[in-house]
Amino acid sequence: MLHPREILSTIDMLRHEHLDVRTVTLGINLFDCARQDPVRACAAIRRKILDKSRHLVAVCDEVGDKYGIPVVNKRIAVSPIAAVAAPLDADGMRRVAQTLDEAAEASRVDFIGGFSALVEKGIAAGDAALMEALPRALAETGRVCASVNVASTRAGINVDAVLRMAEIIKAAAALTADADGLACAKLCVFANIPQDVPFMAGAYLGVGEPDAVINVGVSGPGVVKSAVDRAVAANPGLDLGRLSELIKQTAYKVTRVGELIGREVAERLGLRFGVVDLSLAPTPNVGDSVGEIFQSLGLVSIGVPGSTAALALLNDAVKKGGAFASCNVGGLSGAFIPVSEDLNIAEAAQRGDLGLEKLEAMTSVCSVGLDMVALPGDTSVETLAGIIADEMAIGVINKKTTACRLIPVPGKAAGDYARFGGLLGESVILPVNHAAGPNAFIRRGGLIPAPIQSLVN
Amino acid sequence: MNKAIISILGQDRPGIIAAVSDLILRQDGNIENVSQTILQSEFSAIFIVTLPESLALEQLRAALQAGLAPLEQHVHVKPVHPGPPIYVPSPDREPFVITTRGPDRKGLVARITAVMARYGVNVTNLQAVFKGGEAPGDNVMIYEVDIPATIDQKQLRNDLRVEADALDLDISIQHRHIFEALNRI
Repeated sequence: MLHPREILSTIDMLRHEHLDVRTVTLGINLFDCARQDPVRACAAIRRKILDKSRHLVAVCDEVGDKYGIPVVNKRIAVSPIAAVAAPLDADGMRRVAQTLDEAAEASRVDFIGGFSALVEKGIAAGDAALMEALPRALAETGRVCASVNVASTRAGINVDAVLRMAEIIKAAAALTADADGLACAKLCVFANIPQDVPFMAGAYLGVGEPDAVINVGVSGPGVVKSAVDRAVAANPGLDLGRLSELIKQTAYKVTRVGELIGREVAERLGLRFGVVDLSLAPTPNVGDSVGEIFQSLGLVSIGVPGSTAALALLNDAVKKGGAFASCNVGGLSGAFIPVSEDLNIAEAAQRGDLGLEKLEAMTSVCSVGLDMVALPGDTSVETLAGIIADEMAIGVINKKTTACRLIPVPGKAAGDYARFGGLLGESVILPVNHAAGPNAFIRRGGLIPAPIQSLVN
Repeated sequence: MNKAIISILGQDRPGIIAAVSDLILRQDGNIENVSQTILQSEFSAIFIVTLPESLALEQLRAALQAGLAPLEQHVHVKPVHPGPPIYVPSPDREPFVITTRGPDRKGLVARITAVMARYGVNVTNLQAVFKGGEAPGDNVMIYEVDIPATIDQKQLRNDLRVEADALDLDISIQHRHIFEALNRI
């Protein structure tokens, strides 16, 4: 017999606190689709994606109905296209992007990730072709997401690739100038990219993964905020250790939802279940915000002194709860702080409580990085590259994933407003120190060596 | 051995279960199952007991009634049906939890369960609280049910939603595993 409290608290999480399965992401290995000829490569890719994803949306909806939990997004992640389509040139890569876009639409998924390259130690021919194709591929498609891993703790930071990515970001923004540089919202630059992230825009299916696999992303910042609010209302003197414990228990519950749904979807599709990624991923809705949790914990706003410590507490508690809830926790698993996608964080940036430098500091303890940050349109390639290199260094040295999703909004300056629409939200454009200036350090290029793994201070 | 089911109803107070079980023991009876609950201030319990062949049920009932008179409890005793059960749940059934919240009015339980009955949905546990008034949180019904796999689940869900809408109720129909996954280790 269930206790009424168990039932009613669960229903409240779903109805009032935005608990949902944010994404069920079907990973599809495309290495068997490699062909010399772009037309044949695209045909093979389309065939395999459509074959594997045929029942994905219907099954997700059935399972969501059964448990009364909405599976908000259904997505596909594929093997890194730079390797799958390595024989192709930039033109061929653009065709592959079109094919991915069409296959995603036919499969009724909203995003497909994996237009990706792994170049942390060097850029191979396929990687170069994909990178050359990136700006137009992103501007010409609606559903394709791209990621490029330019650094890792084992390889160091490929500064040539960092510079190249800064140029690509500028070019992609220019091609979508009428939409505030929207193409950049579908492009992540990574250090230590995980091979099983279900969340976009960074999702791709890594080498070493099965032929097809179901990975699940659960969210629930609203659930954590409500739990903190209730506990603090009942006991205003609650200390941070107790709050951490509470967040951990809440994260446990949310992760269990993902595991239940993911396993059943995988079973019905006859596929392997991969991981559940519990990441507090906000949407631009009140009550579905990571920024609000900072206020519930007692800070005036995200960004004020104390924010990095609060985020460290939050991120760690989420990971601990998730790890206890499931032996299949993977992906990013932590707290996201995407500026434009979180109404509360965007407001903090607007008020001036949160700047680029504090954001960067916070990314040293969050689960991703500088995410959905709108920058002045005149930010130079070198300055963009400098921001990316700094972010990569945080990931490489701290043996964690970091990423940049930066949007230099064409024709707009710091303090102006950028609007990306839908879940991508909107945000004030943050001022950048030395935005348009040169940067001889970054221009030197080359590889920043992998860091020493002893003498840890 | 004879099997009997005993129900006890009355105002709650300490000592009822002690008295009932002592009276059963004195008749050489053995308790197999007990379920007991308190609704508002009313006590209710059902016992399934095995009894010696020689003991007439009427004798047990009389003993319980006399023994429980000081505690002002009503006693009912009947034999447990000896043959196979008349309702055998389908082996392909799925446990669901159906929850409603909404303004209090007469007929909520009757109309929701009428839909369930039409589909052969068996209620295995029902907890309902109606404090009255319009506050949805004050008026809650929680049905744990078994839904036969053979029925059209979509149609059942649809019919339940239509009935709930007509009653102004907010209804959730969810597989039981979600509550276990979230709340239990």
